[in-house]
Amino acid sequence: MTTISSAAEQAPVAEPLVGRPDVNRKRLARMGWAFTAPALIFVGAVTIFPIVYSVVLSLSNVAVTGSGFSLNGFTTSNYSLVLKNSTWHYALGFTIIYTLITVIVELALGTMIALVLQRLTGGRGVMMALLLIPWSMITVINAELWGYIYQGTYGVAEAIFTAVGLKPPAAGFLGTPTPAIISMMVADIWKTTPFVAIIVLAGLVMLPGDVYEAAEVDGSSGWSTFWRITVPLLRPTLALAVMFRVLQAFGLFDLPYVLTNGGPGTATTSLAILGYNAMFKNLDFGTGSAVATTTALLVLLGCLISLRTFRVQVGKEGN
Amino acid sequence: MRNRKRTGWHRIINGVNISAFLVVVFVGAPLYWLIASSFKTPAALGDSPPQYFPSPVSGANYSQAFVQYDFGIYFRNSLIVTLIATALVLIIGTMAGYALGRLPMRGKFTLMVTLLIISVFPEIAVIAPLYLLLRNLGWLNSYQALIVPYTAFNLPFAIWILRNYMLGIPKEMEETGRIDGAGPLRTIWTIILPMALPGVFTAGIFCFTACWTEFLMALTFNSTNNYRMIPVGIAEFGTVFTVPYGTIFAASVVAVVPIGILVFIFRKFVISGLTSGAVKG
Repeated sequence: MTTISSAAEQAPVAEPLVGRPDVNRKRLARMGWAFTAPALIFVGAVTIFPIVYSVVLSLSNVAVTGSGFSLNGFTTSNYSLVLKNSTWHYALGFTIIYTLITVIVELALGTMIALVLQRLTGGRGVMMALLLIPWSMITVINAELWGYIYQGTYGVAEAIFTAVGLKPPAAGFLGTPTPAIISMMVADIWKTTPFVAIIVLAGLVMLPGDVYEAAEVDGSSGWSTFWRITVPLLRPTLALAVMFRVLQAFGLFDLPYVLTNGGPGTATTSLAILGYNAMFKNLDFGTGSAVATTTALLVLLGCLISLRTFRVQVGKEGN
Repeated sequence: MRNRKRTGWHRIINGVNISAFLVVVFVGAPLYWLIASSFKTPAALGDSPPQYFPSPVSGANYSQAFVQYDFGIYFRNSLIVTLIATALVLIIGTMAGYALGRLPMRGKFTLMVTLLIISVFPEIAVIAPLYLLLRNLGWLNSYQALIVPYTAFNLPFAIWILRNYMLGIPKEMEETGRIDGAGPLRTIWTIILPMALPGVFTAGIFCFTACWTEFLMALTFNSTNNYRMIPVGIAEFGTVFTVPYGTIFAASVVAVVPIGILVFIFRKFVISGLTSGAVKG
């Protein structure tokens, strides 16, 4: 439906001023493919070819040789090894739970911040600029900064906890699994909530004002107006923001790599960390590729499930 | 809000202002800590309880980052790779965005959705084959080892943004060009491109930010000091026994400043990209 309507809309663009319409249309289509070709070659060579090759690696006996790697025949052992591995089970569970919790908190906090900014009478530009700094910050810097904040003997987090009468974790913030996971989530939430806030604010600004006036006339209170009008109207914005965040969070790598190195033990080992370590620390490209491919498949599954939402949005955009 | 009673009005405004202040503290406090720590003396960084204001204010960490460590080299590398990749993305992306937005091609929708899916694909899924490919080409530890993948990974988003802007340009504009007898390339250059400029800015700033902050590929493909990128350099400062936080934060401030300025100047385009680009496509 979208295809048809957008094609129909594009037709007038191709309307010729000279020559026969069909010839002109063909010529313009050829020009279109010529213009698209460089992009397709780049994207194909660097993304589609490696994705296919990754699947091949994951289904092969990969041996490390003196000069490189050799593929010695088809096998499914990489996958059976991965699927039975308890570290992989943990990494999968950790990545899913980490993604769920951070995205929910970011969404709640981000919406609250957006509501505050919407009601702000002055200084909104400065606030937006401030919110954009964490978004544009290198994740490695974020990790180092929070590493310093959480540092065991001189970190400011210890000092703040003590000052307000809380007991800091006995083995430090990053020393035992649960505090380490929560600490990492805090660092992530700090960096990403502003991104969610900006998206939600843009959605809020676009909401029709007359609905609110009607609600006010009906005597609807602020809280019920929020849940019964704002949230349903914002749903498309929220849904897509959530989906992008979920897909991004699933590739979680930079933050644990620098902040905790996947530890303590394997407490913060995400799927990406597990795959990276298998490939580039243990030089086990077969198993590593199996981890990477299953991660990609999960992301793809998420995409396909949400494609309906996409279609609606793409259709709207085409108009 | 204008219908609100006056007595409630003050309370609300105060509530909003207090919340806004809390937001500033939430976002600003860690940023303050980063900047303040970078100006502490190396010894003061380990004070317990910590120094809340650096005293004395010291530039030692900055000179250390550039003199004792090779942060200058990393900065140069990041700048070269980021600028070239961004330029390539904008040139190739504008052409593709124009074609997909304005020319009658079959299978456009499928192509756009494919690009969308590729743009959210986790990097970890392609890192091994790309590493092997780059190794066979002898490209590991070179600028092109990152320029080529960065260009490819940032193209889908850029194409989406640019295509959306191209769609919005009225077709009469283009026809004026054709009546004047200008060829298709000249029409694009003189008529379409100036009108799509906001889209070019948006795509450019997103691509720049993405290249500047990318870590996994920079870590895997360019491991030698001469081709190391900023994020990898900053991460590797910390692999020695005592973490030189002063150097790390000085380098971090230097790395955050250019992108901060860029984002501040182009914040309208960033916000439009986040909302129309990231959300809708």
